[in-house]
Amino acid sequence: MSGIDLPALAAEPADGGLRQVAGPVGGAWPTALLALTEDLLDTDGAGRLAIVATPLPGEPWRVDAMLRRVRDRGYTALAVPDADRLDTGTRRLADRLHLAVLTVARPVELAETCWRLALARDAIVLDLVRRLTAAFRYSAQDLGDLLGHLAAVTGSGVALLDAAGVIDEHGGELAGWLTDRPDLVQHDRWTSIVHTPEVSVATVQVDSPSRPGLRLAFFAPGIGDSQLDALAVAAEIAMPAVAARILIDEVATVTDASVTSDLLRDFLDLGEGHDQEVERRMTERGWRTTGYHLGYRVIGRTRLDTFALLRAVGTALSGLGVESHAAVQGRGITAWLRFVPAPSPRDLERHVHQLRAVHDSLRRSFNVAGGVGSLQADRAGLAATLGEAADAARIAAERSGNNWFVRVDGLGLEQLLLARTENDTFLPAARSLLAPLRGADAAGSRGEADVLLVTLTSYLDHESGIAATAQALGVHRNTVTGRVQRIQEILGVDMHDPGVRLALHLACRAVLR
Amino acid sequence: MSLRVERRDVDALAHGCALLGSGGGGATTQLELLALGAPWPIEVVPADAVDPATPCLAVALAGSTMVMTERLPGPELLTAAVAAVQRWTGTTAPALCTLEIGGLNGLTGFVVAQGRTLLDADCMGRALPGIDQVSLLVDGVPGLVVATTTGDGVGLVDRPRPMDAEAMVRAALRLSGGTGAVVVGGFTAGDLVEHAVTGSTTRALTLGRAFVAAREASIGNLAAAIGGRLLAQGRIQAVLTDPVDPQVQSFHLLGPGGAVHRLITRTETLALMTDGVLISAAPTILAVLDVRTRAVLQITDLSPAHHIAVIELAAPTWWTDRPERLRRVTPAAYGVTDLEPGASG
Repeated sequence: MSGIDLPALAAEPADGGLRQVAGPVGGAWPTALLALTEDLLDTDGAGRLAIVATPLPGEPWRVDAMLRRVRDRGYTALAVPDADRLDTGTRRLADRLHLAVLTVARPVELAETCWRLALARDAIVLDLVRRLTAAFRYSAQDLGDLLGHLAAVTGSGVALLDAAGVIDEHGGELAGWLTDRPDLVQHDRWTSIVHTPEVSVATVQVDSPSRPGLRLAFFAPGIGDSQLDALAVAAEIAMPAVAARILIDEVATVTDASVTSDLLRDFLDLGEGHDQEVERRMTERGWRTTGYHLGYRVIGRTRLDTFALLRAVGTALSGLGVESHAAVQGRGITAWLRFVPAPSPRDLERHVHQLRAVHDSLRRSFNVAGGVGSLQADRAGLAATLGEAADAARIAAERSGNNWFVRVDGLGLEQLLLARTENDTFLPAARSLLAPLRGADAAGSRGEADVLLVTLTSYLDHESGIAATAQALGVHRNTVTGRVQRIQEILGVDMHDPGVRLALHLACRAVLR
Repeated sequence: MSLRVERRDVDALAHGCALLGSGGGGATTQLELLALGAPWPIEVVPADAVDPATPCLAVALAGSTMVMTERLPGPELLTAAVAAVQRWTGTTAPALCTLEIGGLNGLTGFVVAQGRTLLDADCMGRALPGIDQVSLLVDGVPGLVVATTTGDGVGLVDRPRPMDAEAMVRAALRLSGGTGAVVVGGFTAGDLVEHAVTGSTTRALTLGRAFVAAREASIGNLAAAIGGRLLAQGRIQAVLTDPVDPQVQSFHLLGPGGAVHRLITRTETLALMTDGVLISAAPTILAVLDVRTRAVLQITDLSPAHHIAVIELAAPTWWTDRPERLRRVTPAAYGVTDLEPGASG
């Protein structure tokens, strides 16, 4: 027989301020009966909860007599105002009589709630449905907002979960219960209603093609059968709205991503030029070009869902506490951090470190490589740092040793240069260009040839300074002069031509690597 | 058949009176001391053994029994009141009885008889707080005169209604400092047979003798020996003063079996309730004993942690015979409702 008990009443918003003060704990009653005074109560209590609207008398012996009469008529509990003032004798008597004594601030309200719980189950459902429709009347910003509204109007907990656990929850903590009792949710059923003394959970599958296996749960601790049935109805009614919301959110995300992607491409395509239309669109999106920017690019090392990646990057960056923007670009995500004013070198290092942490966390879900540009100012700088980040990401895609992460700065630039020299056309060309230095000396061993190559490299590194090169190599400056002359003779090039110098420099670096 | 009371019976008689006091009526100690000086033995004559036309007086000390423990009462107060009544009625009363057998007044008759015939009757059959509860007034016996000592004299009410007598006596007692003497006259020995509780001194002495004899027995046996019923015993857990009438108190007794007893008192014990059920109520006499010393206790003696026993003794049948009499002595007459037998189902 289903009935009403204290936890079920406590779970209702209008319980009349009910609290147990004496007698046995944990009883359940088929219904409750309200009377103005105790002598007006039905003479056949039949195990019911007696609610008396008149406060208890002040004399303890009168209270004793009243408890006895209520019990003798067959009631198992008495709710009455001012019962919290019972003296020790009356409390003892309540135990002896096995009569639960409860204090109630608003007896009529309690009686009405008892009536709804015990007899008018449909009234509970209808009331809940009415409150749900009120929730739908307010527009929700996103899925989490909608779940929060549902929790607020039903007064119970609302959660979205899948087989792996709770994804989002409002108005309570289901995750804690689920860790101890995974059987609270039957994932194979369309509707699952599980009632335990501690917590009751009603879940229903969310009919969403893009997010299979999702369930909407309504839960509350210590509620009765009728309340749980009502919650199950609530879950079924709210489910289509949740499914629709998931779809709306996805469409919005895709649309937004494509808009930002277009805008980013337009901006980067502009180069040095200005376009008022692009400026306006960027302002609308909150992309400001003033200040200092730090570019960040994430690309997939294999094919992946760029929208999922965009969501992950956006979420991760929003946790950094710095203004950040992200957009889909090609097969990856281009993002940047904006600072006003310029961060101190120390802060900058910290932010780069944070980006690295973001990258590490992304790596857990996606096979990606990441690159970070250098700090650049204003409009041109934004384009520049994004370009650097893109280059760095491209390099990172080949660098497993760095956990697929490269940062462009003083040292990173060299890496960038070298990355340019590693393609199939440059390296053989460099080798053939420098080959004469190795093969020209007839008597020369390999060591001699490398001496010329090393000298050339050092000479170029030191901006053609004879003294600096001599000091670096630990030889006399005349030796260096002699070698440079020989190199010029062997290669037959003009070392004063900047283009030639650059080509030689790159070739040396590539060959010596 | 007249009862011959010896000097050595004073102790037993005092105990009997205390038991009939139902927790009130005042401690008998002072009167016992006074009574020892009386001309023993003293004959107590049944009311129907004398000429019914014999003029008679009913005497009592009245007022606060607490004050009496400090301002010791003497027979001279009564002498003045008796003289006033005789002067008013114009007759010398050769017979006398006590107004109230319960408590200290059970011995008053012996102290002030002084040659008058002491009749085996009283006007209450126990201890009661009000002059309007004097049986002669309750029955409306014609020609009554009530005299009370005032501050320095005697106040006298002729042919009073019960409530008049009560109000006048209360006022006079206040003038005389809280205690004094009350004498009722203007009636005969024949009126006593009809309109008073007869055989009350015999009852007190029998009760007292049985009590003294069984004093060392277990409480249950003691109760049986005095013809009573042990209703409750236990430790006083709490004393709760009534929110409306501060003179009404309820004592929470924790019985050996965990039963919740409530002893409700005013000037006397009014009722005993166990586990929310009314077990016994006035005019049934509820005597309170100290379980350890076997002393018969006054309500003013009761305090938390006191280990007491409550013994029920039968109510004087004079009160229970007729509803209009009973109405004067149930707890409702003390202003405490819902303690009538049958009221709580």
